[in-house]
Amino acid sequence: MIVLREVSYTYPEAADPALHGIELNLQPGSITGVVGASGAGKTTLAKVIAGFLPRVDGGELTGTVCVAGRNLAELSLVEAVGQVGLVIQNPFNQISGAKYTVREEIAFGMENLGTPRAEMAARVKQVAALLRISDLLDRSPYALSGGQMQLVAIASMLVLRTPVLVMDEPTSQLDPFGTRLVFAVLDQLQQAGTTVVIFEHKLELLQAHADRLLVLAGHTIVADGSPTEVLADERVDGWAIGSTRYTRAARLARGRGLLPVHGALPVSFEQAAATFGGAR
Amino acid sequence: MSSTLYVERASPIHRLNPVTKLVALLCLLVVVFAIPQWWASLAVLLLVIVPAAISSGVAARLARSAGQLLLPILVVLVLVQGLTYPGGRTVLWQWGPLALTTEGLMFALTIGARLVCLVLASVLLVLTTHPGDLMSALTEQGMSPKFAYIISSTLQLIPSFQARATSILLAQQARGLTVPSNPLRRLGVLMPLLGPLVLGMFTDIEERSTAMEARGFGSTARRTTLVPVRDTRAQRVARWVIPVLALAAILVSLRWIG
Amino acid sequence: MTAVRFENVRFRHPGGVEALRGVSLTVAAGERVAIIGQNGAGKTTLVRHLNGILQPSSGRVLVGERPTAGRSISELAASVGYLFQNPDEQLFASSVRIDVEFGPRNLGCTPAEATARADEALAAVGLSAQAQSHPLHLSLSERKRVALAGVLAMRTAVVVLDEPTTGQDARGADLVAAVVETLAASGRTVIAITHDMDFAAEHFDRLIVMAAGEVTADGRPADVFGEAQVLERAAVEPPQLFRLAQRLGWPQRPTGVQQFVDAFAARAPR
Repeated sequence: MIVLREVSYTYPEAADPALHGIELNLQPGSITGVVGASGAGKTTLAKVIAGFLPRVDGGELTGTVCVAGRNLAELSLVEAVGQVGLVIQNPFNQISGAKYTVREEIAFGMENLGTPRAEMAARVKQVAALLRISDLLDRSPYALSGGQMQLVAIASMLVLRTPVLVMDEPTSQLDPFGTRLVFAVLDQLQQAGTTVVIFEHKLELLQAHADRLLVLAGHTIVADGSPTEVLADERVDGWAIGSTRYTRAARLARGRGLLPVHGALPVSFEQAAATFGGAR
Repeated sequence: MSSTLYVERASPIHRLNPVTKLVALLCLLVVVFAIPQWWASLAVLLLVIVPAAISSGVAARLARSAGQLLLPILVVLVLVQGLTYPGGRTVLWQWGPLALTTEGLMFALTIGARLVCLVLASVLLVLTTHPGDLMSALTEQGMSPKFAYIISSTLQLIPSFQARATSILLAQQARGLTVPSNPLRRLGVLMPLLGPLVLGMFTDIEERSTAMEARGFGSTARRTTLVPVRDTRAQRVARWVIPVLALAAILVSLRWIG
Repeated sequence: MTAVRFENVRFRHPGGVEALRGVSLTVAAGERVAIIGQNGAGKTTLVRHLNGILQPSSGRVLVGERPTAGRSISELAASVGYLFQNPDEQLFASSVRIDVEFGPRNLGCTPAEATARADEALAAVGLSAQAQSHPLHLSLSERKRVALAGVLAMRTAVVVLDEPTTGQDARGADLVAAVVETLAASGRTVIAITHDMDFAAEHFDRLIVMAAGEVTADGRPADVFGEAQVLERAAVEPPQLFRLAQRLGWPQRPTGVQQFVDAFAARAPR
């Protein structure tokens, strides 16, 4: 669905590339998590996949980005955004600022694309129910809390039903309930065939929901595999992405001679249950 | 935080298509400014604006808002024109070089009546028309959606700017800044915040433009609107009839009176 | 000694929604308190009473054993440092250092003292190298840590943190956790709102659960995380290792890696 070949990108007036040597091939209907320390290039990669770089911010992109078999560089921005939806990091800037109700705010993208009114109304209703924000539809977008705003921002992209959805830290403002809700919605999208790329710090949820995990470090992809493989990799400390408490506990237990030192470290709840439950 | 002056009511004036109201407002202003007699303005006021205001259900609010705007202007107008009107001959009262003349007062009345019409009718439009509806209606009439977006987002920017300024000021106080109660010294405290505030807004707008593109803002498709703009055949006809009537009124007044 | 006290505090927003419905609690000096609960539960409304941004509709709030009523925000700032949820509402200066010096200067520090405090605070949040940068050139997570440094530099007896780990990567989260530990070690009171249960369990000695404007649980993390019904109502779940111990049927309630491994050691036949 998304193929990046030898992609490098340098921002205008920057000496060094923000991304280099990116090779990526994402299958349709998959959830890919991307982790990396601040400044590793996550937001840049999100914008490259969505076709915004270099188109909007300038700079220089080498290599090719293909979505659904078509080279993004040869598509107009409007065609590109029809393929890839982008949820940006700051939800307050995702909203148009020109609408007076959440209902109209969510419909803004569909209005731009000329969606018939009855269909817009139905889709707004459906996406609001999915994200549990139906009670906010008649509120002003300016009167929302950070968490509510983030759900509205996600809804405003989901409603466009693009085949690919790129989300840059979409749960940063949410409480645990909202965070789990968003990941549950991603599972539903995936079942409906949507390709999801999510940039996140919450490793336990990525482990549980993503098919594949990429690690960005030093402006390039340094690891790519199943979340379990990647998070159990012995180089994980060098990537500064942290680790789940399960992994940390197993490491400490190994250090104290309580667990055998061979084999992969547990990454998930289930693996940790097997490790610590079976060792007795 | 409310970002509009719009007052929600279920009145016939509220239900009118915003473009109908806009056409009516423009025609009404052309009439009162084209016909020089003060009683023309008075007639428009009594026959059109007052009934519309009463049926809108926001008459009290209109009186308050318009009064705040008009009162100082009218006082100045009567004093300046009444006392110093150059063509004044019929002196009612004199004090040194200042003479209150009938001609001066009549002139003040003519200008004042027009201003009253202008302010009352415009404020009535603002109070009874949601700016979002106005933009949708104008877009349906062929106005560029980008232009509509610029207007709408600018209108919303002001309250969001205020909210942001308030938050920043609170945060500063939370770090020990004393905000003086004297308005002038208060301004001195606020001025340094203005730069970062504007800079922050620009950064936001830049990021927002990315988000707008992601939502098809650059699309050339014919746009649709989620909320239909109410319109009736009678109003579509009225939007042609009202300008014709206005023109007729002006011609009649020029022919028979002017 | 009491650091802050809420006495049957109720707060109603001008719109009419009652955001706090009778909160009473006392925090002793030197305590580390984490407040958890869903968005909209009243957490931020509660802590905004501590620096006088909000005053209770009824009841009293005491800071340093004196009621906040009649005390201005800037006066309370000498006792309570407050990290806002959104750093962009807090940062305003043209360089990171000037911004961090702002609080100490308002509190009457000499320029040299303010600079020394700013340097120390920036080191604590891992941003010494960015001292000359413009805050807008930093990432959102870095700006949040600049805002945190601005609060630390004031060296107040009470420090209130509204979601300090939001958007932080692993290193940022570790830095914030270390800040909490350092504050506690110097005997200062820390009150933090957080959605990160692992952070709450590992670095705080008291947990307050809020739901719908009320405190529904208040106690040691190990006890509070055992109250399944309260947690469910507040839509939160216990931290990772706490859940794991529950699943394994252990009697211990470990809140951190160390306790978990200790519990494991106690069970493992050597």
